[in-house]
Amino acid sequence: MKKLIGTIRNSKPIRNLLLFLAVMGPGIITANVDNDAGGIATYSLAGAHFGYTLLWSLIPVTIALIIVQEMCARMAVATGKGLADLIRENYGVKLTFYLMLALFFVNLSNVMAEFAGIAVSLEIFHISKFISVPLSAFFVWWLVVKGTYKSVEKIFLFACLFYVCYVISGFIAHPNWEDVFQQTIKPKIEWNLTYIVMLVGIIGTTIAPWMQFYLQSSIVEKGITIDEYKHLRIDVVGGCIIAPVIAFFIVVACAATLFQAGIRVESAADAAMALEPFAGKHATWLFAFGLFNASIFAASILPLSTAYSICEGMGWDAGVDKRFEEAPQFFWLYAAMIIIGAGVVLMPRFPMLTVMYLSQVGNGLLLPVILILMTLLINKKELMGEFVNTKKLNIITWFTVGVISLTTLIMIIFLIVYH
Amino acid sequence: MRLFLYFSETLGRNVVDKNNQFIGRLCDLSMLQNQEVFPRTESLIIKRGVFYTEYACIHIEDVQEFKKTIRLKIHHTDITFKRKSFRCDFSLIRDIMDQQIVDTDDQKVVRVNDVQLLRVDQQLYLAHVDVGLRGLIRRLDWTKMVDFLVTLFSPKSPYLKQEELISWKNTHVLTTGRGKGALRSDVARSKLAKIPTAELADIMEDLDIFEKFSLFKTFNVDMQRKIFTDMALPEKEELIDQLSDKEAGNLLENIPADEATDLLNNLPKEKTVQLMRHMHSKTSKQLRKLLGFAEDSAGGLMTTEYLSLNKDALVKDALQLIKDNVDYPGNIFHVYIVDEKNHLVGATSLRRFINTTPTTPLMDTCYHNKTFVRTDDGVEEVALLLEKYKFSSIPVLNEEDILQGVITSDDVMEELISLTWKKYKDQL
Repeated sequence: MKKLIGTIRNSKPIRNLLLFLAVMGPGIITANVDNDAGGIATYSLAGAHFGYTLLWSLIPVTIALIIVQEMCARMAVATGKGLADLIRENYGVKLTFYLMLALFFVNLSNVMAEFAGIAVSLEIFHISKFISVPLSAFFVWWLVVKGTYKSVEKIFLFACLFYVCYVISGFIAHPNWEDVFQQTIKPKIEWNLTYIVMLVGIIGTTIAPWMQFYLQSSIVEKGITIDEYKHLRIDVVGGCIIAPVIAFFIVVACAATLFQAGIRVESAADAAMALEPFAGKHATWLFAFGLFNASIFAASILPLSTAYSICEGMGWDAGVDKRFEEAPQFFWLYAAMIIIGAGVVLMPRFPMLTVMYLSQVGNGLLLPVILILMTLLINKKELMGEFVNTKKLNIITWFTVGVISLTTLIMIIFLIVYH
Repeated sequence: MRLFLYFSETLGRNVVDKNNQFIGRLCDLSMLQNQEVFPRTESLIIKRGVFYTEYACIHIEDVQEFKKTIRLKIHHTDITFKRKSFRCDFSLIRDIMDQQIVDTDDQKVVRVNDVQLLRVDQQLYLAHVDVGLRGLIRRLDWTKMVDFLVTLFSPKSPYLKQEELISWKNTHVLTTGRGKGALRSDVARSKLAKIPTAELADIMEDLDIFEKFSLFKTFNVDMQRKIFTDMALPEKEELIDQLSDKEAGNLLENIPADEATDLLNNLPKEKTVQLMRHMHSKTSKQLRKLLGFAEDSAGGLMTTEYLSLNKDALVKDALQLIKDNVDYPGNIFHVYIVDEKNHLVGATSLRRFINTTPTTPLMDTCYHNKTFVRTDDGVEEVALLLEKYKFSSIPVLNEEDILQGVITSDDVMEELISLTWKKYKDQL
């Protein structure tokens, strides 16, 4: 019997599967957190206002996401260092400091959006935000401070499963599948301003600055080695495919119902509520629960990831397993993110829209800088060794980075002009 | 004249020649890795241009004065600018500033915010590294503003006085990235040796694999063994990957057998076998048992000590190999021919080639049939084959035909005797 198990374990496909399962996590989690409160709002609005006409954009976005995330994964295994570490060591403290400062504020406003997402999604279930938000904040703190890397990762992987909510609501909405596929493959691009703003918004929300830091650090933290890179790549690419697939179903669900009926919505919670007459109570619940899951998931990861990146870059001790006196900066940053993020949601008349607007501008300004730095780093032979970018890959990478940077800059111009 | 000065404050200073003609700005210092405790500056690296940057290297001897502006003794026509940066032992910007180092006094890994230089008769020495908040603020050019604000609100704040400087002799610089040579200082090494090994294992945890490797290599075998035992399993695996098979084999031999088995169980089979080749047969035999080869199977019986050569070897190579291994505890009469991946290609014995001309290819003297056993074959089968072909040893292959080891007739004898005794006792 023992021998049998041995032979099964040593057979190639099984062995590969086991190795993959051991490595799995960072890529899938990062990509799923990407569908956070802000992301779901964007996709809902895209579906509600433009029907299926924006679906095609998810394909190029997926490719761009894969290219960018794969770079992070490769840097992590080749150097064993986080992105903030690498930027500090290669480009000095000044640049790092200002990048980290920007990252702090951008991520802080993202955390605010997540807690706002928690508040509105649970209000659909008639839970007051004065109960849901403090409890969620406590949960987030408890999860990370009391958990270990392994246990937390398992919980996060489990949370990824709940995104299936959106897939189900996509089906409940009874879209015209023929139409959906037509539009995905043969796009009818509308050349008007609101359409382009939405398009740029989708790109901006799918590829965010924090993801690069988080993915790279979590791979390093997990101690994945060069030998396991093959399996890690499956994890990363898989995640980059799953995330837009979920986005696809969100767009479809809203397009099949709200767009058909010509209903205007302003947020993800609006969209969830508006679904009821068309797809029934269950669809609303699924949508709201999905929003809650995504928000609390992202709210757990963003403060931690931010505190880690900043401490890494500034050379301060970091880690949830350290005592407060050992890593004061780390704990202050972490606490500040959660307390401010959750606090402002409870504040009456907090200018949330202005903050979200500023956060989008900040995201847009930060992203090109980080992508360019990443591309420069991955071209350093002394850092990457045999994992350095090849010539062909370099052309693709620079092209992708160029397009993303350009679109985010366009978005900033739009935002400023229209504000 | 200040004796100590911060490197970050000298960066970007204007450099002029003896006629006060502007040459460029200071952008780095290249240091001399000498036997002194504090490294000495060898030359100044100067940059000019904003979009089209060029660098020049100026020896410290050519510097007239090192003040707010740096004046040289030479004329600007004597300086050649190049597009590329210069090769040197180590430079402050590349290897020290912003990098991680080990603070051997406080026994932790820290990041360098600034470097303090010591000026003694026209020489600049690397005296301290600054790892504190003040250093960080200084790098950001915020010192004046922050000092002003802090004095305003809390004039007695420790921040104003507190410099976190570490003497250079209490630091250990790690190899960063690939291909850079480690900077070694004997003082640091002897300091490191005094840190308790459990603490060192903690330090290692904070480092990336290249830094880990460079730090690890600076210790003697005894220390390495102790540190290795204290490391976490994934870290051990990483390190084993970085070490050569021989070093890894030696290391594994010196740690408790159960720990070695835990580790070997997690490595690929081929790697395990390769590592075992570098251990003494007694240890490797013990390990193999622990690794789960049944005791009376070929895998459990075999020894990993055997003589092997590649396909192109000549008879004289084989003779030389045997001569070199007279003291070898294993069987030296048989020589196995293997390819790069250790697949068994052929086998020959001293009897078959001792009388041929030394320049004959060894392959020509091989037995016609490849005789071998598999790792899970039983002892009886091995005994039968040895008897049938009158061999004194037989190779053991795994399913992929990779040579794992050999079984000698006395190994089989030993096992058979004990089996016979057992049967005899059972009958009684």
